[in-house]
Amino acid sequence: MTEHDLGERFHALRREDAAAAPALRTTLAAARARAATTPRRRTLALGAAAIVLAGVALALLLARRAVPTDLATVRLKTPTDFLLALPNEDLLRTVPHFITIDSPRRTP
Amino acid sequence: MSPEALERELDHLHPAAFGWALACCAGDRVAAEDALQASYLKILDGRARFDGRASFRTWLFSVVRYTAAGQRRRAVLRRWLPLAALGATSDGRPDAVTELVRADGTRRLTATLATLPRRQREVLHLVFYQDLTIAEAAEVVGISLGTARTHYERGKAALRKLLKEELE
Repeated sequence: MTEHDLGERFHALRREDAAAAPALRTTLAAARARAATTPRRRTLALGAAAIVLAGVALALLLARRAVPTDLATVRLKTPTDFLLALPNEDLLRTVPHFITIDSPRRTP
Repeated sequence: MSPEALERELDHLHPAAFGWALACCAGDRVAAEDALQASYLKILDGRARFDGRASFRTWLFSVVRYTAAGQRRRAVLRRWLPLAALGATSDGRPDAVTELVRADGTRRLTATLATLPRRQREVLHLVFYQDLTIAEAAEVVGISLGTARTHYERGKAALRKLLKEELE
């Protein structure tokens, strides 16, 4: 198959396509009609996106509010915390329990 | 370029642009018409402007190619996301009606072309179908002349081999 044969085949394809091509006027009319509907579609898409974003933001806000923070349990741990550690500090944090011994009263 | 001159140029190149749109959309007529309408719209409302650096034909073909590529990407996205209800999506294959009305020889040619890589197919179409030079084809596809020449030679060899095999 020569280059000329290949060219002939492509030209036959071109003739078929040209015969089936829509008129320019039809294509332009469809393009203009499309331009008239595109902003509406864009507005709809933007509106839908805004609703979804608002929903996500609201859900995040509600989820944050649902978890109360107990400040009493919050403890900041710094890298130099170990300097404050004392030997046997557990003992210092507990209240010593004194044993009371009941002795018989002396009577004069 | 004035709107009247623009429409005159489009009128002159319309059948060739339709053939190129068909090639960019793998023979899918609906997708090709869609790509052509979107391209004309871009040109008429000034989103795509002809600056005179290339010939009007190569520039128009670049716009059509770029628009068709965008549609292809959106079609892939629509197929993956559940957006099929928003409109029919192209599956990137030639439609049955277009294939039915083709003669045997051209049907064989389009089927064989479909087996080639996209770049080779595009360069062959632009050179043989649109009678552009390889340099102009490179400009339309957005590749260097050397790369276009390689695609042209490889594509031509592959097409010859495949068509010869079919004839035997």
